[in-house]
Amino acid sequence: MSAAPGSILATSSLTMRFGGVVAVDNVDFSLAPGELRCLIGPNGAGKSTFFKCLTGQLRPSSGSILFDGEEIGGRHTHEIVARGIGIKTQVPNLFEGLSAYENVNLAASRRNRADRAAEIAAEMLELMQIPEIAGEAVGTLAHGQRQLVELAMVLAGRPRLVLLDEPAAGMAGEERARLAGVVRSLAGDNTLIVVEHDMDFIKDIASTVTVFHRGRIFIEGHVEEIMAHSEVQEIYLGKEANAAA
Amino acid sequence: MAAPGYWRGVALVAAVFLAILLFVPAWFDLFEVLQMTQYVVLALYALSLAYIWGFGGIVSFGQAGFFGLGGYAFAVLSINMGDTTVPFLLTIALCFAFAAVLGYFMFYGRLSDVYLGVVTLVVALIMWKLISHTAGPEYAIGKARLGGFNGIPSIPIMRVPFTDREMDPGEMFQYFMGLLIFVYLLLHVLIRSKFGRIAISIRENEVRTGLLGYDIRRYKLLVFSIGGALGGASGAMWATYQTFIDPNAFSLEMSAKCLIWVMAGGVGTLVGPIVGVVALQYLSLKLGETAFINNLVILGIVLVLLVLLMPRGIVPTLHDWLRKGIALVRQPSRGGAP
Repeated sequence: MSAAPGSILATSSLTMRFGGVVAVDNVDFSLAPGELRCLIGPNGAGKSTFFKCLTGQLRPSSGSILFDGEEIGGRHTHEIVARGIGIKTQVPNLFEGLSAYENVNLAASRRNRADRAAEIAAEMLELMQIPEIAGEAVGTLAHGQRQLVELAMVLAGRPRLVLLDEPAAGMAGEERARLAGVVRSLAGDNTLIVVEHDMDFIKDIASTVTVFHRGRIFIEGHVEEIMAHSEVQEIYLGKEANAAA
Repeated sequence: MAAPGYWRGVALVAAVFLAILLFVPAWFDLFEVLQMTQYVVLALYALSLAYIWGFGGIVSFGQAGFFGLGGYAFAVLSINMGDTTVPFLLTIALCFAFAAVLGYFMFYGRLSDVYLGVVTLVVALIMWKLISHTAGPEYAIGKARLGGFNGIPSIPIMRVPFTDREMDPGEMFQYFMGLLIFVYLLLHVLIRSKFGRIAISIRENEVRTGLLGYDIRRYKLLVFSIGGALGGASGAMWATYQTFIDPNAFSLEMSAKCLIWVMAGGVGTLVGPIVGVVALQYLSLKLGETAFINNLVILGIVLVLLVLLMPRGIVPTLHDWLRKGIALVRQPSRGGAP
């Protein structure tokens, strides 16, 4: 799994230790431009820590991260974001006192003048199909709406690589289907990595899945193949459940 | 994104301040004018912390470090240069630069908020200790002897800018009040600018602001440096107002008072800390005139009551009460019987 030529993102022997705990262990991962990849794995598998290393929130203990051919491992978050990586965090991370529009506008303002930022903010809320909540304070919104506002914020920064950490958490039915449609529409123009537990959602959006287990990449492959894999089922459900099945 | 009423509120407060500037010297006696000049200087000092705390999320436990540095820098410069305008400007620049250097190590060293508070406090106390040990004649900068615990006397009175004429107490009050109004308006413009909105967003959610691609260290550094410059300016004004400065300007008490004024007036407002200074200093003055109980005990009780009854501070609480009152008055008329 060494870095493929032409990949937009390639990690090599990426390791993140917290004292004696190795949260990310020698991960070699690569991603082609325009690809949509899902990361799955049980809680504590290292997925969110992997994302934090990619976005500079954590300085990797060792290994390298190449983004578009440039080493970004250990760089500051703002430098990485300026190079084109955007992240939607696991728990929606918003400015609670501001409205949905103001949140997205703030994100768009980094690279744009006020009038253009306003246009982009409106566009992004439209893309998420939530223009009706533009004026509402995000602190009053439902969890699913907050997820969409945060995604709009991320996209307002026009990233080339979008990291989505459990974007469908707390969503159901129509809301989740709408999100799946948005994510699918982003692929191609954007490169995406989506961490998710919801297998139906994964089937809706992706074809290639990478399974993390104990900080390492356990297996990579097509979504149907991964779901049918007995060891993956064992990792997710435990030996007893597998035996019972 | 500015609420329509925002600038109306700012203009109203500025108009009240302007009226005070114009009428106080004529309507009040010398003692009261001097007393109010003190409030104005301390209000600017409180604003220096109110800005960095309320609009940048930086809690400095040692704001007196800048206040004292400003006082001493102005004293040394004005005694040596025989002028007050250029020393005043140089003092502001020096305190800005000192805050920038200190802030560089704190913010670029990724210090967390608690350690940042401790570092500012320790720096102020180190400065207090250092300046207290400068009693000998060898501790002089040019013509200015630092004087250790005795401080520096005979600091020049503020002169009318670019002239040799000393201001009388009324003029000094008006000059300082004018500066306070200028800083108040300047800070509001800064807060409503893109820079100000990002500084507030850092206070609200530092992680998300960083993830949007903003360099939070740079913004915090600039906010802290502006606060340092304002703290230094107030220290210089204090030195020329008293014509004297001593190590107490760096003291823990000066840092603590500043925190209390801002907290009592309301963090996240600019007029609140000014109200906090006037209310608590006036109360201290009046309690000092009574002999039946230790005034610090009463002041302590007042502060505890303030925290319990008005946890957000005087100005935000009064603002809420006023808004609720107006809503109550309007409600019956809206749904009134035919």
